[in-house]
Amino acid sequence: MSALGELGSLRGKKPVGQKKDNLAGYLFLAPWLLGLFLITIGPMVASLYLSFTDYNLIQAPKWIGLENFTRMLSDERLHNSLRVTFTYVFVSVPLQLAIALLLAVVLDRGVRGMAFYRSVFYLPSLLGSSVAIAILWRQVFGTTGLLNQVLDVFGIEGKGWISDPSTALGTLVVLNVWTFGSPMVIFLAGLRQIPTMYYEAASVDGAGVLRRFFSITLPLLTPIIFFNLVLQIIHAFQSFTQAFVVSGGSGGPSDSTMFFTLYLYDRGFGNFDMGYASAMAWFLLVIIGVFTAANFFASKYWVFYDD
Amino acid sequence: MRHIPRGLRALTAAAVTVTLLAASACGGDSGGASSSSDGGKVTLRFTWWGSDTRTKLTQQVIDAYQKDHPNVTIKGEFGEWSGYWDKLATTVAANDAPDIIQMDEKYLREYADRGALLDLKKADGLDTGKFEPDTLGAGEFDGGLYGLNAGINSFAVVVNPAAFKTAGVPIPDDKTWTWDDFAKTAAEITTKTGGKVTGTGALGTNEAGLNLWARQNGESLWTKDGKVGVSPEKTTDFFKYILKLRDAKAIPSAEAISQDMNASLDQSAFATGKLAMSFIWSNQLVAFSKATGQQLKLLRIPSPDGQAAKNGSYYKGSMFWSISARSKHQKEATEFVNYLANNPAAGGVLLAERGVPPNTEVRAEVTPKLKPEDAATAKFIQDIKQDLGDPSPAPPVGGGQVEKIIQRYTTEVLFGRQAPEAAAKAFLDEVNGELK
Repeated sequence: MSALGELGSLRGKKPVGQKKDNLAGYLFLAPWLLGLFLITIGPMVASLYLSFTDYNLIQAPKWIGLENFTRMLSDERLHNSLRVTFTYVFVSVPLQLAIALLLAVVLDRGVRGMAFYRSVFYLPSLLGSSVAIAILWRQVFGTTGLLNQVLDVFGIEGKGWISDPSTALGTLVVLNVWTFGSPMVIFLAGLRQIPTMYYEAASVDGAGVLRRFFSITLPLLTPIIFFNLVLQIIHAFQSFTQAFVVSGGSGGPSDSTMFFTLYLYDRGFGNFDMGYASAMAWFLLVIIGVFTAANFFASKYWVFYDD
Repeated sequence: MRHIPRGLRALTAAAVTVTLLAASACGGDSGGASSSSDGGKVTLRFTWWGSDTRTKLTQQVIDAYQKDHPNVTIKGEFGEWSGYWDKLATTVAANDAPDIIQMDEKYLREYADRGALLDLKKADGLDTGKFEPDTLGAGEFDGGLYGLNAGINSFAVVVNPAAFKTAGVPIPDDKTWTWDDFAKTAAEITTKTGGKVTGTGALGTNEAGLNLWARQNGESLWTKDGKVGVSPEKTTDFFKYILKLRDAKAIPSAEAISQDMNASLDQSAFATGKLAMSFIWSNQLVAFSKATGQQLKLLRIPSPDGQAAKNGSYYKGSMFWSISARSKHQKEATEFVNYLANNPAAGGVLLAERGVPPNTEVRAEVTPKLKPEDAATAKFIQDIKQDLGDPSPAPPVGGGQVEKIIQRYTTEVLFGRQAPEAAAKAFLDEVNGELK
């Protein structure tokens, strides 16, 4: 039968038993599909509805049209939270990707014990957005934390990095940059894809290390850079855990680490204003959507697909 | 040829879609089993905030109750104050509220006005006959009783006598001290210990200090009809006084204070011996005594002209017992609350850790058994009775946010990012904006 089926498909006819295969396929997909509809699409539709209502979590939602959205225009804390989030995204993502690329290039040159280094550098990515690391961060950058003890050895007077509004956001940027491992591993895989003959040809023509990097590595790596850039920007916009734990849930000191997501949480669960919080969630979705679309549009001018 | 495939672009797009979908639907988890019963067996969920001390004492009471009521199992859920309210809001929203809730004045109306709490007047089996008059009032509104007073406390200055001794500074007379005396004493301690111990914790890390400040000046944080009752001028004075403390080095650095705002009681600056004085609620003396291992002392809040009777103090319901309106076992939950409030055996364990018992019989029963720190709390409450001002109106719906808001503006002022006048105005605007 199987030989017959193969023959059939070779001739472009519907093979026997394809229906069965389809069913099996959907069955295998079922857990994911269920999750998508129950945990993702369902709540999304609900939150879209709630964004047009006044909903305090306990009583039934009341339809108020666009009021939640117009309120955002005059909400100064929301504007501040946008400033904080944009600063975080546009400082930490480029830094993170630059470090990831640099280390990937170095590791790709065949360092001894490369597997070890790769694992070590990747580790923070696995832990980076966890609560445990955020708590650790609070200790490291606290008034009596590790950083200040190290600075003390060099005679530099430390400070409460996390409790000073001018440096608190910086500690979160450092935390995000520190999780450069996952883009680094993707860069490493990308570097492996670049044919060595290009480098050989370039060397024969007398191109130096920098020239080879900027003329071969970078252009051929642009699809990977693009991939990492898009993902990391989205990821950074959605950051929540780090700021929540490091600031003890307050977004403080003085709202200096009040990410958009954190303010959303504060409105929804602190102030029982779930309608407004839902509207904010959709606003964030639009922001991320716009940035991603812009990224894809711009990619036409700098991303090079080699095929 | 090993080329980078065009398919990568599709992969990028797919990855984007998935992450975007996750963006607007974060947190769909509503975990946690709700109360259940089978064959006459009832499981109640009981939630409270507080220190280790409180958790141990409360668990003892639960164990004793379960021994007498073999059909009832009580599951304690406890945490620190700062995370408690987020968690409670989440469970209430998920229709998964605990049966018995330790409630604070700040959030009582927030929950009760929205029908989340049971009217205890209509609940079967709760006896409030032995309660001291006036102690029920704070949990009562719109003709119902939504929170049962779990203990009486008062805002106070806590003193670590050991720190005063190290500094060689005498503990001042709290019946006559003024805010100037307070600042001077605190600054002196910082100076004389060479900064090892700082004079006092800051005012303005919660709203109670501002309320007393307002009351001393003929105003109050909230009015009886649920509005903001403190003027921009008095709030400005309040922030100016905090700056005065800062400039005299009477309080720790701005960074240390902002860090302390999120610290748990056991890890706070006063509990770890870095401060000689601090502002606390009188019932917290028990937990702070345990944490510091010292014999601590409570002093009255200073006043503008050295008259203790004019320092604006009042008896506050330190916390309340509430029952979820959606509890499936309201009868059993009410019986347990009745046990917490009226049973001398329960009182004998809990003592004054949640404040002085409002049930006069329990109080009489318990007083001789009090440990030194509980006795000190009870005595303080007794001593200030003659100097009390009017009761302080409960915060209106939306007023629960005021603690976070004043913390933020105190930080702004301490770091010099906002002048007292600007901070006072912005603070009041924001509090007004939160009221519903």
